[in-house]
Amino acid sequence: MSATLATTGVGAAPVTARRPFRLNAWQTWGAILLAPYLLVFVFFVVYPVGYGLWLARHPASYVHLVADPIFAGTVVNTLIFLIVGINVKMAIALFLSGFFTHERRWIRWLSVLFILPWAVPSIPTILSVRFMLNPEWGVVNQLIFRLTAEDGPNWLNDPRLGLTLAIGVHIWKSLPFWTLILLAGRLSISADLYEAASVDGASGWQKFTHVTWPSMRALYVTCTILSMIWTLGDFNSVYLLTGGGPADLTHVLATLGIRYLRLDQVDLSMAAVVCAMPFVLPLVYVLMRRLSK
Amino acid sequence: MRRGIVRTLSLGLLVTTSLPALAQDKLTVWFSKGFYRSEDESLWAAIKKFEDKTGIKVELSQYAIQDMIPKTVAALDSGAPPDIGYADTYNNQAMGKWAFEGKLEDLTDVLQPIMSRFAPQTVEHTLLYNDQTKKKAYYGFPMKRQTLHTEIWGDMLDKAGFKQSDIPTNWAEYWSFWCDKVQPAYRKASGSRVYGIGAPMGVESTDSFQSFYAFMDAYDVKLVDNDGKLTVDDPKVRDGLVKALKDYTEPYVKGCVPPSATTWKDPDNNVAFHNRTTVMTHNFTISIAAKWYEDSVNPSSTPEQREAAKKAYEETIITAPFPNRPDGKPMTYRADVKPGVVFAGAKNKAAAKEFVKFMMEEENLRPYIEGALGRWFPVTKDSIESPFWQADKHRKAVYNQFKSGTEPFDYVKNYKFTQLNNENVFAKAMNRVVSEKIPVEKAADEMLARIKQVAAQ
Amino acid sequence: MSAGIAGTPAATARALDLPPLRRPGRRDRWRAAGNEAKLLLVGIPVLIWTLIPIYHLVLFAISPKQDAFSGALFPANPTLRNFEIVFGQRHYFQAHFWQQLGNSVLIAFTTGVLTLVIATSAAFAISRLKVRGGRTVMNLALFTYFIPAAFLAVPMYKTMGAYGLLNTKWALILAMVTIASPYAIWVLKQASDKLPLELDEAAVMDGATPMQLFRLVYLPLMAPSLVAIGIYALLLAWNEYLFAFLLLSGDRDLTLPVALGNFLAADDSPWELLMTTGLIYALPPAAIYYAFRRYMVGGLTAGAVKS
Repeated sequence: MSATLATTGVGAAPVTARRPFRLNAWQTWGAILLAPYLLVFVFFVVYPVGYGLWLARHPASYVHLVADPIFAGTVVNTLIFLIVGINVKMAIALFLSGFFTHERRWIRWLSVLFILPWAVPSIPTILSVRFMLNPEWGVVNQLIFRLTAEDGPNWLNDPRLGLTLAIGVHIWKSLPFWTLILLAGRLSISADLYEAASVDGASGWQKFTHVTWPSMRALYVTCTILSMIWTLGDFNSVYLLTGGGPADLTHVLATLGIRYLRLDQVDLSMAAVVCAMPFVLPLVYVLMRRLSK
Repeated sequence: MRRGIVRTLSLGLLVTTSLPALAQDKLTVWFSKGFYRSEDESLWAAIKKFEDKTGIKVELSQYAIQDMIPKTVAALDSGAPPDIGYADTYNNQAMGKWAFEGKLEDLTDVLQPIMSRFAPQTVEHTLLYNDQTKKKAYYGFPMKRQTLHTEIWGDMLDKAGFKQSDIPTNWAEYWSFWCDKVQPAYRKASGSRVYGIGAPMGVESTDSFQSFYAFMDAYDVKLVDNDGKLTVDDPKVRDGLVKALKDYTEPYVKGCVPPSATTWKDPDNNVAFHNRTTVMTHNFTISIAAKWYEDSVNPSSTPEQREAAKKAYEETIITAPFPNRPDGKPMTYRADVKPGVVFAGAKNKAAAKEFVKFMMEEENLRPYIEGALGRWFPVTKDSIESPFWQADKHRKAVYNQFKSGTEPFDYVKNYKFTQLNNENVFAKAMNRVVSEKIPVEKAADEMLARIKQVAAQ
Repeated sequence: MSAGIAGTPAATARALDLPPLRRPGRRDRWRAAGNEAKLLLVGIPVLIWTLIPIYHLVLFAISPKQDAFSGALFPANPTLRNFEIVFGQRHYFQAHFWQQLGNSVLIAFTTGVLTLVIATSAAFAISRLKVRGGRTVMNLALFTYFIPAAFLAVPMYKTMGAYGLLNTKWALILAMVTIASPYAIWVLKQASDKLPLELDEAAVMDGATPMQLFRLVYLPLMAPSLVAIGIYALLLAWNEYLFAFLLLSGDRDLTLPVALGNFLAADDSPWELLMTTGLIYALPPAAIYYAFRRYMVGGLTAGAVKS
């Protein structure tokens, strides 16, 4: 990366290169125009990050963090959330992106509706799910009671079900986005390739493995990494659905910070973020390599 | 050093915010939002009166209860706390720690002249230890208090075929009555899915540990002695704790408590009761009954709605004390005393103390307390005897409970309990039992271990 | 690779707007009627999965409280009374509904405008003026974009406290500009890299200053991307819950989503009003999305996932 940085100055626009006397004016204006973002960056990125690291500087914070039984559970939950959530979501998105390539009027209408979860804000819809699943008044258990005269499952009050449902809400919310991205990827594959495969008598599955997947693999991997980072920061799906409960058993790293803030232990909240960094930074690095062109 | 940077930054960032330019004649006051309009209106009236009398401008900000502690902590960290703060959660989740760390202003000189006006077990709760001065002092001005009651739907009890006089006073029979008799009978009579007992168990609720203390008291479990020293290694404490935890969780395991109780926040036991999902609930204040009173005078409801609410408040809903303890002695109650504080970092301490003095005057404090419709009980002898507390059966029940004497919670004696309350080790233990199916003994041991761990930090 | 995520606005817009009969070759496989059934077998569950929470939300909003709590599947007695209560601010928890709606609008617009100004000038400086260090700034911005916003929440809260901005609209606006800018700069830089260099050269030959180039050539050509990014930032701020809930607290300062969250802590949770307010709150972004969807699917996507 340093190599590219070194060349940027030299490889300036041809315009400026040809008119060296203008260089100063252009560079000055460039600096002025860049300044607002730099100010934002210094005041609202550098300072908070520095502050965060400063808060998390005591080794004792990490000792307390590890001693807190909730932290270990949170790490496990986060891993489950990531591994299950992302793979299920991306697999469905890949499948549905194939479905949406079919040209039918009703599928086009469906694709318009399909975007809704992601076009509307999370709070009302997640709270709607939350109420639907309330064991006493929620429509789901009332229906179960009416049909079977049994009390239904304890949904969000059961730690396992609660986490599963939070993953479900996460998928519900972000599936349309990834489906669209992968759909765009599919549509950019040349139709000729498929025609050639048809001529060779390839089955649907063979077309997928020999044409679709090879062209999509890079995109799919990038999407998975990006999704990993974003999912790690998914606060709403857990916080608004279960609030981390019951008994703080469904927290993930994104919601743990708020818990410690409430407990007046802000150093732990930053320590938890710092603990996630060895995992996040390599992903960020890979993504930057892939995307900063 | 850091403060210096911060100051430079905020100067560079003169985007908005009225910087407290002339702090001398201005007082910054933070109060948590009241539950009832009448409560907030009385506060505003008192503040207006204070401004007129002293010429000091009061800048009042009211925040949601759950926001008060994080906001205050952030303000303390950045070195700009308000002059005066009050939140319903300060006392049991923060104050002891702040006093210990020297973040609160000693109010002894303000309270000393009015000591004789306080009822027993009120102002004592604000006598806290400061580790900087190595002394105890009065670090808050007590305004109100609350304790544990039970609320019962009388008409649901009727429908189940029982009368109020059928409710047992014996500990074991009492709980079995709601679970094994009332619930099945009511379900049979109505065909609806109703639960006998509303027992708060959410980690994010204060109701859960406040209720659980009553169960611990029933078995004489004392986690600390009077000097705040942990007594959790006493085998009697463990035995009692196991019994208390068992009694608290058993109705849930037997299906007599709404399944969602494990994630209830403070309002949710109220909500379940209002919706008639529970026949009986324990609740720390009479806010449940008071809600129906407020509905009965709410001008935006229809006359029929007001009439129905009036009936619920005056007839159907019953406020009652707990049953006797398992050893047959009458139940003892813990009370929370809710004080406001002046911060050590306040810019305008003189005016703040002036405000405390003013607010503690009978004629200013009483309307604010009574504006809460019975939710808060007064701390001064005179206000306790106000006709307000004799006006109806709910308030009379509260009055009687307080008159028979209350005890402080453990956080008053050992500030580490503010963190334990905050983490809610009590509800966590309940959840271990009912959600994760851990044996009660193991959950109790884990709880004691965590208490020791936090106390040692 | 840059065609992957980078190309999203254009590529996904295309995807949504499927031109008919693009791939005659693929149609052959789907001729059989059985295949139509297979498609339906996928389509119907997708439809149900997508709509259930939204249907439930609408159902609550148009039902009286008793019906809503009794677990009815269809609105037996549809009513607009809940809307009357909300719009008339007749419930204690919604005494400031219009004020809060106004806050949401104000904060969203200010964020949109500020982000546009900051990101457009930065992208112009980096991409057209080739300012020294521009690439470093681009990388820093991108790096910020990849750090989950939830991790920045607590330090941001503390930072705003330190600046004395806590509980003011500026705290939320500045935080949202911080979160929205990196992606905005990145997308605008990608778009502006695609503008032909000859344009700049011609303008310079005519003696244009950098600012004239910016105003007269650059801005008009970038208009579609600017619309997309402006709306992206606006919706990001409108939808934001976590930062809003941390940075604002006075009843009169809150945005709608925080007010909705506070319902959960109310003594008597009026869920039917919560759902009604939620529906009102969800409508503008949905409307904007459908109105502008050809231009700005990419922007919206990133926004929604990032929040």
